[in-house]
Amino acid sequence: MTESITFGLARMHLEYGERRDFLPSLVADMENRGAQVLLEYGYGSGLGYTEDDYKKAAPNVRFVSHDEIYQQKNVLVLRCPANNELELLQPGTNLISMLHYPTRPQRVAKLKALGVESISLDSLKDDTGRRLIESLRAVAWNGLEVGFKVLHRTYPAPGLESSERAPIQATIIGVGAVGMHAVQAASRYGDLKLWQRLATSGAPGVQVTAIDYDLTGLEELMKELLARTDILVDATQRPEPSQIIIPNEWIGLMPEHAVLVDLSVDPYDCSTNPTEVKGIEGMPQGNLDQYVFMPDDIIYEHIPDCVSVKNRRHAVSCYSWPGIHPKQCMALYGAQIRPITRTLIELGGVQNVNPHGRYFERAIGRALLSNWEHTNSAEPTSKPEKEDKG
Amino acid sequence: MTNPKTIGFPRMENEAGEKRVFLPEFIHYLVGLGAEVHIEEAYGARSGFSFEDYKLAHPDIYMCSREEAFQKDIVFILRSPTPEEMNLIKRGTTLVSMLHYPTRPNRVDSLTKLGIKAVSLDSIANDNNIRLVENMKAVAWNGLEAAFDWLEKSWPGLERPDKKPIQVLVIGTGMVGKHAIEAATKLGNIERNKEHIASNGPGAVAVSIGRNISHNATTMEELFRQTDILVDASQRRNISKPVVPNDWIAWLPEHAVVVDLAVDPYTLDAKPPVVRGIEGIPKGSLDQYTFPADDPKWDAQVPKSIPSKHRRTTVTCYSWPGVHPEACMRHYARQLEPLVYHLIKKGYDGISLTGDYFERAIYRGTLKAWLKGEADRSSKGPKQKGSE
Repeated sequence: MTESITFGLARMHLEYGERRDFLPSLVADMENRGAQVLLEYGYGSGLGYTEDDYKKAAPNVRFVSHDEIYQQKNVLVLRCPANNELELLQPGTNLISMLHYPTRPQRVAKLKALGVESISLDSLKDDTGRRLIESLRAVAWNGLEVGFKVLHRTYPAPGLESSERAPIQATIIGVGAVGMHAVQAASRYGDLKLWQRLATSGAPGVQVTAIDYDLTGLEELMKELLARTDILVDATQRPEPSQIIIPNEWIGLMPEHAVLVDLSVDPYDCSTNPTEVKGIEGMPQGNLDQYVFMPDDIIYEHIPDCVSVKNRRHAVSCYSWPGIHPKQCMALYGAQIRPITRTLIELGGVQNVNPHGRYFERAIGRALLSNWEHTNSAEPTSKPEKEDKG
Repeated sequence: MTNPKTIGFPRMENEAGEKRVFLPEFIHYLVGLGAEVHIEEAYGARSGFSFEDYKLAHPDIYMCSREEAFQKDIVFILRSPTPEEMNLIKRGTTLVSMLHYPTRPNRVDSLTKLGIKAVSLDSIANDNNIRLVENMKAVAWNGLEAAFDWLEKSWPGLERPDKKPIQVLVIGTGMVGKHAIEAATKLGNIERNKEHIASNGPGAVAVSIGRNISHNATTMEELFRQTDILVDASQRRNISKPVVPNDWIAWLPEHAVVVDLAVDPYTLDAKPPVVRGIEGIPKGSLDQYTFPADDPKWDAQVPKSIPSKHRRTTVTCYSWPGVHPEACMRHYARQLEPLVYHLIKKGYDGISLTGDYFERAIYRGTLKAWLKGEADRSSKGPKQKGSE
C-alpha cells in the first residue's frame, strides 16, 4: 500500500516579522519515515537555520524555488498561502495548512475550484472534538508576557518589583479555552522567571478576576472592575462581532498606567452592516511586525472612523501571538503534526486515509476538504477573510 | 492481534457510592480487538447495567467470579486494588489501574514482589509529558456543581440578596484551578448557567490567586469577607502546613461554601506529617461529599489535634469525577481506546518507546518504565490529585 511520498514545505511571506518555519527535527522525522522533503530556498532562515542545518538532520532534503514547492503532491505551510500562491497548486495536490473552513467560505470555494484536496490543521480533532494542532496556551502566555513587560514600564512608584506595592489587579474577560490559559499566565506575570524572581523578593502577586462574556453587560460591575484594573485582557469569543464589550468611554475610567491586552484579535470592518468591531473599542490591531502600541501611536489614525479612539491606554495586540516566540511555537506545532505526517507517509498519501480507520486517520478524515464538503452545508458567513491566528 | 488475550473486569468495592464501571461500549471495543472478556458477576449493577447489556451478541464475553476476574491475562480496574486484592492477581498478569507510582512507594514494592506487570493510567503521558488519561475538568466542575447546588438551597435561582454576582475565590492556579475558574463562572453547570443568564441572573465572578497572595493574611481577610464560595485547588510545596488556617475560616460569611478539590488526607503519623490545605475540614467520599457546618460526622473525620472550631459547609470528595459515573467512564474510554489497542496487539512485553505515539505513551505508564527510571520522575511529572 505504501509508496514514495513527497512533501514541499513552503515559506510564509505574509509580514516581515513572520519568521516561522518547521524545524529540522520534523523534516528529519519525515525523511526517516520514507518521505522525500523539498524546502523552499531560505527555509528556516528567519529562525537562524541554514541549508546545512536541515541537510545535517535530513541528508536527502532538497532546496528548490517557491514555485516548485507548490508543484509538489503535498504542500505543507502553517498559515494559508495567498490566493496567487494557491493558484500555483496542481489539481489533486494535498495542501496542509491552517485553512479555517468554517469561517472562510471563499477559501473553501477557491480550493474546490482548483481541484485540490486539503487538510486544515485547525480542523484536525480527536474523537472528543479536541483540536490536535493548536497553541492556545502560547496565545495567552505570549500576550500576557508582552502585556506585563509594558506594565513593568508604566506601573507607578514604588514600581512593579517593589514589595511595598499592592497586588496587581488583572481582569480577564472570557473564560473559554484561551481565557483559562490567560488566568494562569496572568497569575505568573506571563513570565515564569519574573514570577519566581518577584516571589523570592517578596513582591505581592497578581490577583486575577475572571468574568464570563455574559456578565459584561453589567455596567456597574464592569465600571467598578475597570477602575481598579492594572491589566485588562480580552479573551472572549463573541457570538456576535458587532457587539462591543468595553465601550471606549469605559477605558477612560481605568488607571493611566493600565495596559490592554487583546487576545481575541478580531478585526474592524465599518463596511459591513452591522459594523464589525473589536471587543475593546479603540484597541489597535497588531501583527508580528508591531504588537505594542503607545497611546500616541500613529496607528490610531488608521482605525476606521466608526470606532471611537478617544480614550487610550498602552495596548498590546497581535494577530499571531504564538509567532512572537517562533522557535518554541514551531517546536510545539512540529511535535503535534508529527503523527499526522507519519500517518500520511505510512499510508502513501491522503487518498489512502480511511476516515473511519485508526485514531489519526479519523482525525485527518475530519480535516479533509472533501469531508468538509460532504458533511457541512458550508453556510457562508458574512465574516471577511482575515489572517490566520496560527 | 496474534494471540487473543483474556481480560478480567473486577468490580470496585471501595465505597457504596462508587458506581463507576467500564461501559459496555468499551468492553465491546476490546472484544473487537480479539480479546476474550470476563466480567465479575453484578458488574455495573450499581449503575443499572446488567450482564445482558455487556453480553449483547458477543460470544467472547463471559460472567465470572471476583477471584476469576483477577486471574486473567489483563485486569482492568479504575482505582487501585487493595493489598488483599493484589494477592488474587497471578504472577505475570498485566494490571491496568490508577496506581500513582510517584506517591505510592509501598504499592510499587508490592507490584514488583508479586511479579505484576502494571500499567498505571495516571502515568500514561505523551511526548510532551501531558497525561493522556485524566479527568481534571470533572474534578473542578463536579466540585463546583456541588457547591452551587448547596448555595442554591439558600438562594433560589442563585440570586444573592443584594442581586450582585456570586463571588468565588479560587486558591491555586494549576490545571485543576484553571478548570475551577471556568466552572465557577458558569455556576458549575452549563445548563443552569444558561437558564440563569437568560433570566437576567447576575452570574458569578471568579477571583484566582496563587501562593504569592494566599500567604498574606491581610489580603486574604479582605478577600474572604466578600467570598461566597472558597475553592482549594492548590498544590502545596509544604504539605505539613495548611494554605488556610482554621482561624481564617471565621472571616468567611456564614453562608459561604468551602470546596475541596485538593483532597489531601490527614496523615499525621507520616514524616513529614500531611495536613489538609484548608485546616479543619473533613474528607469526603462518593458516599458523602457535602458536610454542613453542623454535621456530627465532622468531629469523627477531623483528628482532635487539628483546629476545626470555625466551620462552613464544605464539599469534599476523594473521587470527584465519580460523582457523574457514566460521563466519567465514557470520558476515560475515549482516552483509553487508542492506548489499549497497543496493549492488546503487542502485549506488555512488546510495547516500547520505539513504537508510535500511543505506544510510547502507554509504555511510560508501565511499571518497567517507572523502575528503569525512563518515566519522568521530576516535579514536572504529570500528577494531580483527586483525579481518579
